[in-house]
Parts: sequence; structure tokens; C-alpha cells
Amino acid sequence: MRQITSKQRKTALLVICMLFAATLGLIGRLVYLMILHSEDYAVQAQELHERERSIKAARGIIFDRNGVVLADNKPVCTVSVIHSQITDPERVISVLCEVLELPEETVRKRVEKVSSIERIKANVDKETADYLRSFELDGVMVDEDYKRYYPFGTMASRVIGFTGGDNQGIIGLEVKYDSLLSGIPGKILTLTTAHGTEIPNAAENRQEPVAGNSLTVSLDVNIQRYAEQAAMKVLEAKNANHVSMILMNPQNGEIYAMANVPEFDLNAPYTLNEEYAAKATSSEVSPEEKNTLLNQMWRNPCISDTYEPGSTFKIITATAAFEFAKVSVTDRFYCPGYKIVEDRTIHCHKVGGHGSETFVDGIKNSCNPVFMEIGARVGIDGLYETFEKLGLMRKTGIDLPGEASSIMHKTENVKAVELATISFGQSFQITPMQLLSAVSTVINGGNEITPHFAMYAKNTEENTVKTYKYSGETGIVSEKTSETMKTLLEAVVHDGTGKRAYLPGFRIGGKTATSEKLPRSSNQYISSFLGFAPAENPQVIALVLIDEPEGIYYGGTIAAPVIAEVFDEVLPYLGIEPVYSEDELKLDGVGTFPMPALVGLTKGEAQKLLKAYEIGELYISGDGETVAEQFPEAGEEVKKNTALILHMK
Amino acid sequence: MEKPTVRKTEYKPQTYYDYSLLFITLILVCIGLVMVYSTSSYYAVKQKFGDAAYFFKRQLISAVIGAVVMIVISKIDYFFYIKGIGKKYKIRLLFLAYALCIGLQIYVLFFGEEVKGAKRWIKIPLLGTFQPSELTKICVILLVAYIVYAAPKRLDTVYGFIRVCIYVAPLLALVAAENLSTAIIIAGITFLVCFVVARRKGYFFVAGLLAAGLVAGYIFLGEAFRGERIDAWLNVETHPKGYQILQGLYAIASGGLWGKGLGQSMQKLGFIPESHNDMIFSVICEELGIVGALAIILLYVLLLWRLFVVAVNARDLFGSLICVGIMIHIAMQVLINIAVVTNTMPSTGIPLPFISYGGTSLVVLMAEMGIALSVSNRIEYER
Repeated sequence: MRQITSKQRKTALLVICMLFAATLGLIGRLVYLMILHSEDYAVQAQELHERERSIKAARGIIFDRNGVVLADNKPVCTVSVIHSQITDPERVISVLCEVLELPEETVRKRVEKVSSIERIKANVDKETADYLRSFELDGVMVDEDYKRYYPFGTMASRVIGFTGGDNQGIIGLEVKYDSLLSGIPGKILTLTTAHGTEIPNAAENRQEPVAGNSLTVSLDVNIQRYAEQAAMKVLEAKNANHVSMILMNPQNGEIYAMANVPEFDLNAPYTLNEEYAAKATSSEVSPEEKNTLLNQMWRNPCISDTYEPGSTFKIITATAAFEFAKVSVTDRFYCPGYKIVEDRTIHCHKVGGHGSETFVDGIKNSCNPVFMEIGARVGIDGLYETFEKLGLMRKTGIDLPGEASSIMHKTENVKAVELATISFGQSFQITPMQLLSAVSTVINGGNEITPHFAMYAKNTEENTVKTYKYSGETGIVSEKTSETMKTLLEAVVHDGTGKRAYLPGFRIGGKTATSEKLPRSSNQYISSFLGFAPAENPQVIALVLIDEPEGIYYGGTIAAPVIAEVFDEVLPYLGIEPVYSEDELKLDGVGTFPMPALVGLTKGEAQKLLKAYEIGELYISGDGETVAEQFPEAGEEVKKNTALILHMK
Repeated sequence: MEKPTVRKTEYKPQTYYDYSLLFITLILVCIGLVMVYSTSSYYAVKQKFGDAAYFFKRQLISAVIGAVVMIVISKIDYFFYIKGIGKKYKIRLLFLAYALCIGLQIYVLFFGEEVKGAKRWIKIPLLGTFQPSELTKICVILLVAYIVYAAPKRLDTVYGFIRVCIYVAPLLALVAAENLSTAIIIAGITFLVCFVVARRKGYFFVAGLLAAGLVAGYIFLGEAFRGERIDAWLNVETHPKGYQILQGLYAIASGGLWGKGLGQSMQKLGFIPESHNDMIFSVICEELGIVGALAIILLYVLLLWRLFVVAVNARDLFGSLICVGIMIHIAMQVLINIAVVTNTMPSTGIPLPFISYGGTSLVVLMAEMGIALSVSNRIEYER
């Protein structure tokens, strides 16, 4: 029997000691990895397991000046299926098909697909989603989300703007005030497996989203609606390309309305409106062409497009002349129908000429030679100094993206001919907003204004977080010049080229313009009218531009009545009551009379009697022969042209 | 050639049985079952099986078979393996096993199931797969122990050692063709058992240096994918092949002192591929912390110590050498596995004994422990 020797035992002991030594070494390595050096790898591991899921923050609401919601959030839902949780696939398929109105084939494909999560339909409205939830199907998940919603659809589309898929502003106020409106998205940190499946009941690290601030803007839904309706009416009547209109408070630059009709639908901003759909070359629009057209459609012509203002610009020329004391209202001019400047003959719009006239007549007639003359008196340096002061050489600073700059000759390039044409609003380009802003300064007593929409922002707790202040210099134009200009422009409306903007009872000032579009050979025009009221203390200033009207294109003829129509609604709405002068009462049939007694009369007798009165529409109800009731009742003091209802028995 | 005395079995010694060894083994197997369930359930559900306990059940069956095999073997006299059987030609059982192993290793080279680019498995109907290299290890342990036991003095010269090597060489070469890590273990067992027996050890240091040089040469100058393993080892955070080890390191580092708690590992959720296999120790670290990991290492240390005690007290040199061989086998596997998981050495596929998932490995290891127990059962002691 051979046994292990003691030497062999010692060697065996040596071997096991070596093994234990190696074990100790590895224990050291473990201590290093798990205790001393654990931070590094453990943090990396944590990052590996965590998935960040963001929670959308509700976007701030945009209100009009009276608190009417212009842009809101609508809850929408996304329906998905989780393959591994479905217990009854056939029932799931049939219910989804029925509730979501999808073809069975599509649903079946998605339900039967082996994937962690499969989206069935997005943008499902809440009622449908709630109905779907009531089925309590295993494996069907309904996620709620918010989508931007514009209650008025097309209203002020280019001003309000819309948002993209990530709730970010794309155009308009939505992009200008994006950081204010968007809020801070929240986060959920969850643990997931290597395959991205969330681990239920794992401690969630949740960071709540902060809702965006609401924004109140100076738009007024009612004024905007009046403006759009009037603009749409003239657009259709004159078959124009588009009609733009701006209404603003000339005292502080708050914009009440900015219409560009046809507008587009903010709830479907990727659909071409009728104007741009007509521009497409064929019914099948290529993606590139559609993209180009959409970008054109989203432009805001009031601030992004420049044009030659034409005669409305004579207001600026006249202001410069008064400021430099180069003209007085009683100065006399002679218009032979043209003026020769150097080697060029520049015509007045009245071929025969206006003959001898005062400056007042000159502006009432919108006489080009008169303004060429006073322009020459002021000189280009004087004119440009005035332009500079009135903000025509820079952007207005309106709180909308995409504002264009004016295009002006360099001073050294302006010769007598250029000076003459500049004087009546040609050979340079400005935006409609710049013109309106400059004229506001002229008529508000000479104070600089910044046209704007934003008034104040509030957080979700209704605390005002920001009040927007727009400061400007005062005394840019002297009080005296301002008063003179108001008087002159009122005269233009009262019995000058702008007389079709005249509204009995209101004192309206304004100036017409008919701008030739470039190139002049195209014979296309922009008819415009700039008006304000009340003339002595303007509370609202408006500008309308009719792009390429068909037929009669004179601003005084087609643009002025549009402003009259808008003012007729807007001035009373703004609390400016009509005050009729004696002449107006007499001339325009404005006044009151007591309603005659008609009850008991036959229809024929009543109609005969009524001929003596100026009543409006006559409505007759019932089928009897004698008048049983009347409204308004007999003896009531009513305005002329009031409608009368008679009930017969 | 000196003939070994074949012991007669009619002599009944006073019963000794190393229960410590038995229970340490069973404890390790039970910890293994718990950890296999913990690590494999996610993978089992995720894979086609759909049954969280799929791997656990299979491992449990292996453990039960292993336990029965262990107990039965522990009651068999280990001299049975070298007893001649047959009437005319006395063939020792050990050499039959030796021939069987060579046959299986050749078979697996040509007809083996290929998993992840290595042919290591033989498919057996109903039982699943079987890894012959596991059986080869036990065969080598017995073979080396027997050869050395038959003529221990020959090892005093280098020729005696070479003679042992020649016996082992066919198996070693066949195993090395597909499974370098197992080959290293076989070489280690052969080398260290001879080292223990030899009275003059000078040439071992020469041979040791030579072997180390060979291994290093093979690793650095060998096939392309061996070189890649070295790259992955050195640049574990950036190398694409270092992914599994890096995930293991994440798990180990996440464990800290007390661990995340049993079942709470994140890394087993698909981050560590097949974390119930060779990487199981990293999840043990993550779930049980350094305290749990050290406890398990301590169990291995106790196991090795018991094997050592049985070895030095065995009735005869054959038993001693069997136990030394088993001790070296288990120690090497534990050390290499933990070294790989902690990125202390280049990655190689060695399972953690008794704990890693794998039926063949578990049954064979438990059979080995059965042999060690049978050696302990032959120890004579005086009151």
C-alpha cells in the first residue's frame, strides 16, 4: 500500500496555498470593482437602463384682447396595441375596425405583428378614444396627447400661425412667442430591459411638465371678422388676387385686425387654400411645387411684401413739406396735367390737369404736379430725413417673423426725376405695415409707435408674467403739422378723392392710392385706401390693399368704400358714436320720426300712409286684411330706414 | 514495471465519510439552482420557451441526477476503475473510458452540434445535448492519478513526466482543437498532479515556463479570433467583442456592498447575453453584492480545503492524487471563471462549477465529488 509521502503533502499544501493566493488576488479585484471603482461602471449601467420618456407640456393659449380664445389645445389620442398583452386578438381586431373605422386588413396586420408596441391610429378624438376604452380590451393602449386647435379656423391665419408635430411654432405669433408658449416638457425616467420594455413598478423618476404661458394679443375677434368679411366681399366683387387689411390703434400701435384674404385653415395648414390651389400647374401637385406654394401661402403680405405705395405716400411728402415749412395750405399751384422734370414729362392722373389750385385742393385731388413741386422744394435730404424719423428706412419692429425692409434709392442716386417720383410714392418700395406705422405717427401728434400684437402673458396661475411695453420717441412730427395733416386728410374724405369713404356722423380722414405693379407694362394695380377716425383724435387707422382688381381699379372708387363699410361697424363697436351735423341730417336723410299708427288699417291704406315716411324694409305677416299689430308701435321715435313689421288679421 | 497492488474489498474499514464535502457541494448546487432561476427566467420568457422556469427545471433535473450519481459513486471503491475486467484480456475500466473519450472527442469534431462557432456538443435524443469534454476532464484526472500512482518514482526525471504527457496528449490535442480553455484545465491538472508527486521539481519550472510561453504564443500569434480576444480584453469598453464582459462589469459594479437583492438584477434583463451561463457570477455580484460574492468564494475555498484534507489523509496515493486532481480542476475553473468575469484575463468560456447552467458540467462535477467522497470513505482512522 503506497501512501502519500509527507513531502508530497507539503507540495500539495503549496499548490493549494498558491490557489488560495490567486483567489485572494481575485477578491482584491472584486473589491476594486465593486467598492472602490464602482461609481464609474455603476453610473454607466444606470444610464443604460434608464429610458427617458418626455411628457408634453400644454402649450399656452392665445387670447384676443377680450379674452376670446384664438389658439387652444385639443386632447387627441393615439391608439396602439401591445402584442404580448393581447388575449383575444379576434375581438381586438373587430372592435378596432369598427370604432376607428379602419379596414380590417390594416388592423389585422398590425395586431398580429410581433413587436413590442404597434401604433394603430393617431389623432383619434377623445370621445372615440373613451368609447374604445369602455371595451377594456387587453393589450390595447390609448395614449392621450394634445394637439393645437384654432377655434376660428381661418381667422387671422397668417398672424396667429400654427404649430408643427413637436408642438413648435411654424409661422406667425406661434413662432414669435414660441419659447413663451411652449412651456417646459416633463420627463419620466423609467427602467427598461435591453429590449426596451419598461419594467413595471420600478421606481419612476418623474419630472412634471410646466405648461406654457398664455398670451393675450391686441387682435379683436369682432374687428378681425368685420375686416375679413369686408375684404372678402371686395375680393369677390373685383375678382382680385388677394385683399389685405390692417386696423390699428394709431396712438399706441395695438393692431386690432390684420386680414389677408383668402386666409388658410390653421387646423389644416398643409392644405392649399383656393388662391394657391388655383396657382398649381395641374391638379396633381408635385411635393416640391406644393412646398413652394405652401411657403407662399404662409407669407403675410402686410409685413413681408413690399410695394410702391403710390398716392397714400403723399401724406408723408406733405408732412415733410410742412415740417420744413416749404409749403402752407394756402399756397397756390398750377396743374396743366403734367410736369416736365429735366427731360421727362410726368403726367398727372387727370389728363386735362387740375388747373389753378391751392395746396388743399392739391391733396384733395391727389394732384401729382403739386407733390412733385413740394418734393422738389424739400429736396431729397429733407425727404429722407423725414422718412428716417417716421421709420420708413427700417423695419417697424412688429412682433411677427418675416418682416421685410424697405427698398429705397441711395441718396446720391436720386436725381430730379427720382425725387419727383418719390414725392408721389413711386420708384421705391415699402411694406403696408411701414406705411401705416409712419402715417400713425403723423396723425397721432407725432409720436413714434411700434405696431404690435402681444399685450401681456400670464402663467397657469393667472399671474401676469410679462407685460409687453413698447416705447417710442415723442415729438417726431410737430403738433402743428399733425393737426394740419389731420384736417387735410379729413378734407380728402369729405369732398376729395376719398369721398367714398365718407360715413355720415363720423369724421374720417384718409388718402387713396392706385399703385401700378411692376413691371408697369403688366397694367396690374394695387388699389388701396388709408383711413382713420375720428379725424380730430384718431382712435383707429386702417389700410386696405386690393391686389390686382379686375375692371375699375381706382383706389378712391373701390378701396375707399371698403374702409367705410368696416368703419361703419367698427367705430360704434369701439364706442365712437356718430354725431350728425345739421347738413348731414338734411342731406343724408338721417334723423328720427314718430311711427304712425297703423293698427286697424287695411294693407292698402297702410302702404299709402307709409309712403310719407322713410321706413326701411316692410315685413307683413299673417293673411288677414287689417293690421292687428305693428312693431315698432305707434308714436315710438324711430330712426329713418327702420324696418317695420305688420301683423295682419 | 512495478505492478500496483489491487486492494481486496472484503476488508471493512471504520466508516469515514466527509459530510462537510458533501454538504458544501449540495449548498453550492442549491445556490446554483436559485441563481440559474434568477438569471434565466427573463431570457426563458423572452425566448421561444415562454416558461420562466424552463432553464431552472432542466437544471433541477440535472442536479437530481447528479446527486444520485454522486451518492452512488461515493459508495463505489475507486479501485474499481482500475480493476481489470474481462476473463481473457484484463482490460481496466479506466482505459475503456480513455478510449471512449477519444472516440467521443473525434466524433464531436466531425458531427458535433455547432453553437456559436464551436463544435462542443453531441446531441442525444431525449436527453438533450452532452459535452464530451466534461467527461474527458474526469477521465484525465483518473488517468493521470493512475499512471503516477503506478510508478511515482519515474517522475523524478523529466522522462517520467513526458510519459504521462504522452498518455494525456491525444485527449488534450482533441479537446484543444475546439475548446482551448478546457485544454488549459486538462494541462493544468496533469502538470500539477505530477508536480505534487515528483521528488525533484527543477524541470517543472522549465516545463512551466515552456507551457506558459506556448500558451502566450498561441494567444498572441494564433488564429485571428484569439488575437481579437486579447484586443477585447485590453479595450473592454470600446471593443465590440468586449460587449458581454463590459455588461458583466456593469453588473458587478452595480452590486456594491450588499447588492440589489435577489432577483433585482437589471443586467440580467437582456443586457448580459445568456447570463445564466458563464457570466452568472456577475449577476451574483449585482444581486448579492460583494458580501454574497465573498460568501460563495468562501464556500469554494472550504470545498477545496476539504478536498485537500481528504487528499492528504487518503488511504493510498491513488486516492490522494484523484482528490488533488479534482481540487485542481475545480480551483482552476473557479479562478478562470471569476478572472474572466472581472476582466482580469481574456475571455474564455469556462462555467462556474456547480452554479452555471449546464447539465453535463453539473452531473460530471457531482460525479467527481462522488469519487472524492468515495476516497474519503476509505480513510482509516483511529479513535
